Amino acid sequence: MAVVDGGRVEITDLLWPVDAGGRRLPVPQRTAVASLLANGQRRAGRIVSAMPAADGVLDSAYVDALGLRVHRELQRLGEELQFGRRAAALLKPLADRLRTGPGPIRVVDVGCGLGYVPRWLASTSALGPDVHIVGVDRNPVLIAEATRLSRAEGLACRFVHGDAFAPDVAVEDGARTIVISSGLLHHLPAAELAGFFAAQDRLGVAAFAHWDIAPCFWSTLGAWVFHRARMREAVSRHDGVLSARRAHPAETLLAAAERGAPRYRVRVDEGSRWHPRAIDVLRPIVGERRP
Amino acid sequence: MTTSVVAAALSVLAVLDGTFAGFRSSLGRTGLLDHRRSDVRASVRGGVLVVALLALPVAAASIDAIVRPRRLHLYRSAGDAMLLVYGPYAALVLLALLVYATLGWRQKYLASAVILGPFTLLRPVIAVAGGLVAAFAGEDVLVAIIGCLAVGAVLAVEPIADRVWPADRAVTA
Repeated sequence: MAVVDGGRVEITDLLWPVDAGGRRLPVPQRTAVASLLANGQRRAGRIVSAMPAADGVLDSAYVDALGLRVHRELQRLGEELQFGRRAAALLKPLADRLRTGPGPIRVVDVGCGLGYVPRWLASTSALGPDVHIVGVDRNPVLIAEATRLSRAEGLACRFVHGDAFAPDVAVEDGARTIVISSGLLHHLPAAELAGFFAAQDRLGVAAFAHWDIAPCFWSTLGAWVFHRARMREAVSRHDGVLSARRAHPAETLLAAAERGAPRYRVRVDEGSRWHPRAIDVLRPIVGERRP
Repeated sequence: MTTSVVAAALSVLAVLDGTFAGFRSSLGRTGLLDHRRSDVRASVRGGVLVVALLALPVAAASIDAIVRPRRLHLYRSAGDAMLLVYGPYAALVLLALLVYATLGWRQKYLASAVILGPFTLLRPVIAVAGGLVAAFAGEDVLVAIIGCLAVGAVLAVEPIADRVWPADRAVTA
């Protein structure tokens, strides 16, 4: 995923570029630093400047290890923000409605990272029986680690490297599939959101639920507090606050979903922009396919 | 409160703080869903570490008070002042932890979002404020120095735990 609204980028968005075939590309350190400085992101530029490089290219082993540390910290934050329980509370009624039909239900987590939510759902069986849980991410390092963790934990879920919306990657029977994500939408530019929802419409998924930060003063303050208090990595602290600042407002998400996925009833559950319910600082956009 | 009760209360708070510092240091290290064992191990390490780090200031205060008993009231005043700052902070944190441990996920989230996260960020400020208040209340240079050493010892637990038991080693543990 590349650049986003306002021009500011998260450092992690720069560290794992891939080509059209999904192959990883080298990251020239000077280019990465220059793109950050051009956006006025001096602190981010210093962080990337301090990363080890060989022949001007960032050390991929270092970057991979850093990425795992960042995502482990992120998982810890996800635990504290009750991401697993949030997902289960919303998905269980959706899954129960699908259960009246034939065959298993599938839940696909797009951009799953280390697969915290899929693994949590699998470990708790929170969605009931006959639910296949699949995590998909474009980052092979994260998928390998998610797979290793799920095996170590003996969980009945699987992880796939690739594009979640490509044919035969994760969605087989769209009518019995629920697509979810957590903290993914703010990585997409506003102009790409309609395409994101359209891909789910094309697959004919039964429902989607994508959690992200509700952009407001409180969520930005909360992101700053929590990333200062909880995160050890400078990259995590930088990217975490930027995530809140560049998250998409509900109107933008709803407009994009209605444009891209017109066959779905969509909603975003959140309170007022300035006085949001604290619980809604992380809220989903939910789409259910019309009968 | 007697001097021994004040000393005991501060000791309990210090050990609790060290335990929580060790716990925080272990979080977000492995990626595993169930990390209770490593958390408990890290909490115990944090508790032991704070006791070890506090040994010097506690020994210095104890020796001073034993050798010059008339100075005991200075330590008592400093201890009272520290408790005045740390007591309400600790009470709120413990209440939030009780909520986190016993209620539903929405209450857990709120306890974390409203108290536990912000209070972790405020912790160094509170710790230093307690040290400063104690230094003024003690009205003595040696008491102030020992108070500062104690505050420094408590604040050093998490950074030391992060360095001694770093992420990559914790992952394979």
